Amino acid sequence: MKILVTIKRVTDYEAKLQIDSSGNKIKLDGVNMIANPFDEIAVEEALRLKEKHDGEVCVLSIGTADATQQIRAAMAMGADRGILVKTDNPLDCTALSQVIAHVAGEEKPDLVFMGKQAIDDDSHQVAEMVAERMGAPQATQAYKVSVEGDWVTVVREADGGLETVSVKMPCVVTSDLRLNEPRYASLPGIMKAKKKPLDERELSTLGLSIKQSMTIQKLELPPTKTTGEMVPDVQTLVSKLHDVEKVL
Amino acid sequence: MPAKAGIHPRVVMPAKAGIQNRPQDILDTSLRWYDNILERFGMSSAEHRLLRQTLQNFVAKEIEPGALERDQKEHFDLNLFRKLADLGLLGITAPEIYGGSEMDAVAAVITHEELAYSDPGLCLAYLAHAMLCVNNLAVNASESQKKTYLPKLCSGEWVGCMAMSEPDVGTDILGMKTSAKRIDNHYVINGRKMWITNGVLDASGKPADITYLYAKTGEQISTFIVTPDCEGFSVGQKIMGKTGMRASSTAELVFENAKVPVENLVGEEGDSIKHMMRNLEIERVTLAAIGLGIGKRCLDIMIGYANERKAFGKPIAAFGQIQQHIANSYAEYQAASAYVYQTAQSDMSRLNSDGVKLIAAPMAKKVADSAMQVLGGNGYVSEYVAERLWRDAKLLEIGGGTLEAHQKNISADLLKRGGFESCGDRF
Ligand SMILES: Cc1cc2nc3c(=O)[nH]c(=O)nc-3n(C[C@H](O)[C@H](O)[C@H](O)COP(=O)(O)OP(=O)(O)OC[C@H]3O[C@@H](n4cnc5c(N)ncnc54)[C@H](O)[C@@H]3O)c2cc1C
Repeated sequence: MKILVTIKRVTDYEAKLQIDSSGNKIKLDGVNMIANPFDEIAVEEALRLKEKHDGEVCVLSIGTADATQQIRAAMAMGADRGILVKTDNPLDCTALSQVIAHVAGEEKPDLVFMGKQAIDDDSHQVAEMVAERMGAPQATQAYKVSVEGDWVTVVREADGGLETVSVKMPCVVTSDLRLNEPRYASLPGIMKAKKKPLDERELSTLGLSIKQSMTIQKLELPPTKTTGEMVPDVQTLVSKLHDVEKVL
Repeated sequence: MPAKAGIHPRVVMPAKAGIQNRPQDILDTSLRWYDNILERFGMSSAEHRLLRQTLQNFVAKEIEPGALERDQKEHFDLNLFRKLADLGLLGITAPEIYGGSEMDAVAAVITHEELAYSDPGLCLAYLAHAMLCVNNLAVNASESQKKTYLPKLCSGEWVGCMAMSEPDVGTDILGMKTSAKRIDNHYVINGRKMWITNGVLDASGKPADITYLYAKTGEQISTFIVTPDCEGFSVGQKIMGKTGMRASSTAELVFENAKVPVENLVGEEGDSIKHMMRNLEIERVTLAAIGLGIGKRCLDIMIGYANERKAFGKPIAAFGQIQQHIANSYAEYQAASAYVYQTAQSDMSRLNSDGVKLIAAPMAKKVADSAMQVLGGNGYVSEYVAERLWRDAKLLEIGGGTLEAHQKNISADLLKRGGFESCGDRF
C-alpha cells in the first residue's frame, strides 16, 4: 500500500517563544525547530503498516527549504522518499489543505496519514479539509490502526471514550498522542537517508490559485502565572473566587 | 638566550616544520592509507545535525533517568548499553558490511559529547567498546577476524574492552610486563592488566566477550584477541570505589599461562605500536568529547540555576561574580569545542589528539567546578548533577593518557620539529 504522510516543521515545545516586533509573528531566530510530534507518530504508524503490508511511505512537507531537515529525519526513520513544496509565506489551514489534496491527487496514495493537529497553532482542521477536498472518508485521532483489504479500522479517542470506525481506502487518518511511540532514527538510517529521493518544488509551480482565508493580526503571550496562595478555609476560598477573581 | 621565536621572519626557522618531516618514523605516511575513518569525510552537516538531534532525544528519554542511580550503585547497565546497538551506535565507525554504521570522526565526537551530557560513566564504557575495541579491530584486524568478531560487537551481543595498562605500568607503556610466547599453535600469555574499562561485565565477575590485549613478544609488543573461553584467563577483581565514571565497570585481568590460538594474533608479531598509532587519534578526540559533554551540561545547569535562584532580592545571575563563572565557562567550552571539532573534521594528528585532551579535560573539570560554585550547597549534592560530572571529569586528566603524558608528547613533537606553523597554514 502507498501511504502519504504529512510533516510540519514547528517550533520546539520546550522553546521559550518570543513575539517579533511586528506583533504578528513568532521570532524564529535561534529557536529550535522540530517535526510536529503528531506527525512523527503518523510516520511511525505508516512505517509499521508498511512493514506489515508492504508498499511505500512518502513524506510531504510544505514550508521553507529548512523543512528538508524534517523530511530527512523521517527518511532516517525509514520513509522511502519525500516531497517538499517550498514557500516562504506561512499558509493557513484552507491553503494547506488545498496543497495537500493537490499532491495527494497526483500521488494517489491509499492512505493519507496526518497528525491530528500541529502543536504550533493547534488548529486541528487541515486533515478534515483534505478529506473533504479529496472526497475521501476520514478517521481522525487514531489510537489504534489496522488494515484489512481495502478497509482501515481506526479506534479513535473521542470525548466520550473510544470509538471504532472503519473507512474505505483511499482515506485520511490522523494520529493521536497514544497511537505509538516513534522509533529513533538509526545511524545506518541517517546514512541511507541522503540517498533517498527528495522532490523539491516551488509552490508557485503547482498551478494552484491559493486562497488564504485568514491573516494573523496580533499575537500575545499567555499571561504569566502568578504563584498560588494558601487560604485558611473554604469560606475564604469562596469569597476570594467571588470578590477577587470574579469567577463565581 | 634562546632566539625570539616567532618575531623573526620564518626563514630563520631550522628546517621546514611541516608534515613532510614529522619526527616519529612510526608515523611514516605509508601507514596512512588503511581503511580508516580518519580518511572518511563524507558526512554532511545536515547528517551530523540529525545525528545530534536523534541522540539528544534518546539521551533524554533513555539515559538521563537512571544516571544518578548508576553512579550511586557503581552499576554498569548492560541492558541499557545494548539499547545503544538499536541505534547503530556500538559500531559507529565500523564498516557497514560488518554491521557498523560507517560514520566519521565528527559523528563519533558528537555521540560522545551527547552521551556524556547525561552520563559520562556510561559514555566511557561506550568508548571502551566502540573506540578502543571495535574501531581498533576495524582498523587493524584481518578480514576473517573482522568477519568473526565485528558483527556481534556491533549488534551488542558482545561487549569489548582494550587491555593495555598494568598494575606497575601506565604512562611508560612500552615497559609493560605481560608476555606472550608462541608454543606450537598457541600463544601462552602471562601477566596482569589493570584499570580495564568493560573488563568485567557484572557482579559475578563475567569478563568481556572480547578483550583486545597488548603483550610483549620478546622486545616488541603484539596484539591479541582474547575470549572468555580462553584457559588461564580470568578477572582478578572488579575495581570498586572509583571517584567518578562509576557507571562503567573497571577490572583487573589475570593471565596465568593463558592459551590463545595463533589465529587470534592481530597483524604480525611486534605490530602493536603501529596498531596503537592508527587508533590513538580517535580514542583521544572522543575522550576529549566526553569533556565537551560535561562542559555543555554544566553550563546548562549553572545558567538555569542562576536565573531562578534569588539572593538579596534578585536572581543570582545579576551578580558579577556569578556572571564571571558563566561567561568564562562558556568561552572555555567554546574554545575546547572548536579545537576538538576542527581536529575531528580535518586536523587529526597525534599532536592534536594530545592537544585536544590536554585542553578539554581541565576545561570540563573547571566548568563543572563553576557549576557547583554557582549552585552553592545544592552544587554539593548528587541530585543537582554537577558534582557527579565534576567527579567524572577528573578521569579525563588521567585515563587514556595523563595530562603530563600529553604535555610530554606535545613538547617532544614540537621541539623535534623545531617550529610551529599550523595557524599560518590554516588561514
Ligand atoms: C577509570 C579508568 C579507566 C581506565 N580504562 C582503561 C582501559 O580501558 N584500558 C587501559 O589499558 N587502561 C585504562 N586505564 C588506565 C589509564 O590509561 C592509566 O591510568 C593512565 O595511562 C596512567 O597510568 P598509571 O595509572 O599507571 O599512572 P603512572 O604512569 O604511574 O603515572 C603516575 C603519575 O606520574 C606521572 N608521570 C609518569 N610518567 C611521567 C613522565 N615521563 N613525565 C612526567 N610525569 C610522568 C603521570 O602523569 C602521573 O601523574 C583506565 C584508568 C582509569 C582510572
